[in-house]
Amino acid sequence: MSTRAPLITRRVAVSAAARRATIAAWLLLTPALIAYISFVIWPLILGVQYSFYDWNGIGPSTWVGFENYLTVVTDPTLLASIANAFILVAFFTVIPVGVGLMLASLIRTMKAGPFTTISQTILFLPQIIPLAAAGIAWSWMYAQTGAINQFLSAIGLGGITRSWLAGYDTALPAVGLIGSWVLTGLCTVLLLTGISKIDGSLYEAIRLDGAGWWREFFTITLPGLRQEIAVLITLTVIAALSSFDIIYTSTQGGPGRATLVPGISIFRIGFTQSDVGLASAFGIVLMVLVLAVVLPIQRLSRTSDR
Amino acid sequence: MINNKSEVILGRLLLVIALVITLVPLASMLSAALQPADQNPTGFVWPSDPQWINFVTAFEVGNVFRLMQSSALIVLGVVPISIIIATMAGYALGGLRMKGGRFILIFFVLGLTIPFEALIIPLYYQAQSMGTLNTQLAIVFPLIGLFMPFSVFWMRAHFVNVPPELSEAARVDGATTWQEFVRIQLPLAVPATSALAILLFLWTWNQFLLPVVLVADPLNRTVAGALTFFQGQYSLSIPLLNAGALLIITPAIIVFLIFQRQFVRALLQGAVKG
Amino acid sequence: MTLFRTRRGGTGLAVVALSAIAAAALTGCAPGSSGTASTTSQAPVSTELTTDDVVLTIADETGFPVTDKLTEEFTKQHPNVTFNITRDTFQNLTANAPKLLASDTPPDLIRLPTLGDTVKDGLVANLDPYFDAYGWDKWPASQLAPLRMTEDGTRGSGSLYQLGLGYSVTGIYMNTKLASQLGITAPPQTLDELEKDLAIAKAGGVQPIMSGDKDGVVNFVVQAAMNQYADKDEFLSWMFNEKGATFDTEGNVKGAELIRKWADAGYFPSDINAIDYFTFNSNFTGGQGLFAWNGNWEAANYQKALGSDVTYFLAPPATAGGKHVAMGAANSFSVAAKSKHLNEIAYFLNWVHTDEKARQIIVDVTGASPGGDPSLALPSVESGSLIGQALEMSSQLGAEDGQVDFMANTTAGIYAGSIIPESQLLVTSQITGQEFVERVQKFYEGEVG
Repeated sequence: MSTRAPLITRRVAVSAAARRATIAAWLLLTPALIAYISFVIWPLILGVQYSFYDWNGIGPSTWVGFENYLTVVTDPTLLASIANAFILVAFFTVIPVGVGLMLASLIRTMKAGPFTTISQTILFLPQIIPLAAAGIAWSWMYAQTGAINQFLSAIGLGGITRSWLAGYDTALPAVGLIGSWVLTGLCTVLLLTGISKIDGSLYEAIRLDGAGWWREFFTITLPGLRQEIAVLITLTVIAALSSFDIIYTSTQGGPGRATLVPGISIFRIGFTQSDVGLASAFGIVLMVLVLAVVLPIQRLSRTSDR
Repeated sequence: MINNKSEVILGRLLLVIALVITLVPLASMLSAALQPADQNPTGFVWPSDPQWINFVTAFEVGNVFRLMQSSALIVLGVVPISIIIATMAGYALGGLRMKGGRFILIFFVLGLTIPFEALIIPLYYQAQSMGTLNTQLAIVFPLIGLFMPFSVFWMRAHFVNVPPELSEAARVDGATTWQEFVRIQLPLAVPATSALAILLFLWTWNQFLLPVVLVADPLNRTVAGALTFFQGQYSLSIPLLNAGALLIITPAIIVFLIFQRQFVRALLQGAVKG
Repeated sequence: MTLFRTRRGGTGLAVVALSAIAAAALTGCAPGSSGTASTTSQAPVSTELTTDDVVLTIADETGFPVTDKLTEEFTKQHPNVTFNITRDTFQNLTANAPKLLASDTPPDLIRLPTLGDTVKDGLVANLDPYFDAYGWDKWPASQLAPLRMTEDGTRGSGSLYQLGLGYSVTGIYMNTKLASQLGITAPPQTLDELEKDLAIAKAGGVQPIMSGDKDGVVNFVVQAAMNQYADKDEFLSWMFNEKGATFDTEGNVKGAELIRKWADAGYFPSDINAIDYFTFNSNFTGGQGLFAWNGNWEAANYQKALGSDVTYFLAPPATAGGKHVAMGAANSFSVAAKSKHLNEIAYFLNWVHTDEKARQIIVDVTGASPGGDPSLALPSVESGSLIGQALEMSSQLGAEDGQVDFMANTTAGIYAGSIIPESQLLVTSQITGQEFVERVQKFYEGEVG
């Protein structure tokens, strides 16, 4: 934004060109707009429409007003799945961003070299593989004979070994930690770059002032990374609230309904149970929830613009 | 720069721990994949008699070659078109001064917050009425649309940062907007578009929900979408399932390793520039 | 980067946009077809196989190779007919089936565990004309009853909409090697005897029941317990979605409470909710577990792994001398109403039930009974083999009229949406049998009502 020249001077200088440019701009925009409107906005409108009907997806439909929405906000099973999604935020957002911040601020001074390149590559790997594959990999990690229990036994904690995905108390955190695994590397790498852009002299000054890592972190690193943090929170919160792949391939929402999330519910209600109206209403509610959570986060970065 | 020795050591230590945690699940997959196919693996060990044949079995039983072809087809359908139209739109929003551009941008960016689950059911019926259901096109068309918010946003971020003097110089030379776009802006946008191409490749390759819902025959899906099919096909034999999953993620990892230098750099630059 | 460089008005715009979308949606017309789907005009019913080259398409679930083998043999006998088979997991296939049938290019034949709304929506072909033409009235009526549906969506009577590629039976496998170590010499004859054997195994340090519930297998145990207490016809009327039928019956509760008792006693594996079908089988064939409740389709595999150390029997009745009741069902397939090859598919289905080689394939590959006219010779099996035992169980059940459907087939969504999660809670002592029954019934009412 800062690279833009003041608008007024330009407008006077090149008003004809501006008109020409506006027409050209609309022409250039058209294909993208068509794709976006056809396959995002239009389906969204259809989804809102379906949500007011009782429809099995094939036969005739009946108008039911807000009944489907009423079901979404009163059905304990659906509400529980929403609650689970919010618990996942702790694992998809808080842990990755927190660990990322800690790691990034501790290793910010590492010199660029083969080790840092390799580290970055490795930290990024979980981002590269399909989430569905991550679900499969971790199901096996968490199994009775899997690596986690093997490790626990090796360090003398054999007493707490169990099938982590089968326990009512452990399944949701276990699934959440898969998300932490996927996202922590991304957060670390992004935050590291953010730190590298913070003026180094600020760090020198505060150290000369006798500050330790803790104070340095809160007075320089954290404020300097506001924008990056806002971006990461936004991305990871969306990932948490709309999680599907990992759970589909690891627990399918079980045991009981301990790891049931809106994505799985929508899929089941809409396709297995053929209740298209209710599934659509739940989809719209999920979208509104995401917006309600994500929009306030933008304040964080907005204030730092000025 | 002043640094506390213990901090440096702590930092390295944490980094090494993070690296190990990142790699262990992948290594444990490999360990499972190499154990006898007809039993449950016995733990995270290097098997005394590694069953490399499991990869061959998984490749054949899982029709992995056909799946890769199908995925490649979908990627070829999604990525080039997305890049072209997003670059055009990104230039319109970032390089040209247009009225209402800000609102168009917000209109696009709002799409970033729409969970795929909210759209999947209408997309199903849309594909049905378009007659694309159960074909790769049922995945290709929606993905182009769904990737637009990010792609346009990404390309706009690039064009916003191109110095305006460049285009003014071109105008003085009498170039039309189109000529200027093609001759001056496009060559400069190559790093941004190639990073976007890699990202879109990965997102398409790894796409799961759309293929599972929109294409009934797993062999016409993306490889990721076919993973559930693997779960049934191998009757949930954990060694074969892991071997199949490893086969499927390999191309993505190869692409990433080849392009990772420019990829990470571009991603980081693009993501934090505004 | 900020995802929303809105400065001001971003939220406002979102609200405006959403209201606009809502307004647009509300003024649109209702989704879905207003009338019933019209079926394309069909060729007249014929029992002669065409001489033209035709390709028939089949949609089946993964892991069940019987369609591969059957179609291979059919093409060998009738080279002008070839097949194109697509496969997906049971879960995905059940979710997609109605939409596949409604699409412009439906598979000719599809594995359809639950008819659901498909009859009402005109998606599956009525096979009554072929029933008459081929004389299927000679087949056991009880075997075909679950494949019938009335126009108002009640199963069990009405027109024929499905046929089975094999008819399954379920029972209990016992590891005889473990049994003799524990001093158990013969299969239990009553539920009480079974419970005693379970207690002996527990005391002897042997896993009494091998089962899993990550994907619902334990419901073979749950329903097998219910079957012995429930009124069979009442239970069936619920599975067939008859009006007013309920799952919440005294007998069902009694059966479910028995399962809770077994859960409390520690008869199930402690990590049962992490055990999927493959792990379950791999554990049992690996010698873990005295008993395993499963269907005839695993008979060949169990035999291969355990040799002579395994036997197979019907779940015992509650009282000595009582009739046996066990789950069994057709490996049910329906024909798409829009199929252009109804005659050919019907010919194929009839062939599967009557051709000697086809019947042998059904038995060899699935261990299931081939069904069809009871006067036809049964395929040959090794005497004393598990498959042989399974076929005997099948005919015993037929003679005692004790076959019930799987409760998982009651409605399309009930298995994933309710029975699996609630049974996970039941077998880990989180809920009582009464609660299990009530919750499943509540879900049922939501789906059927």
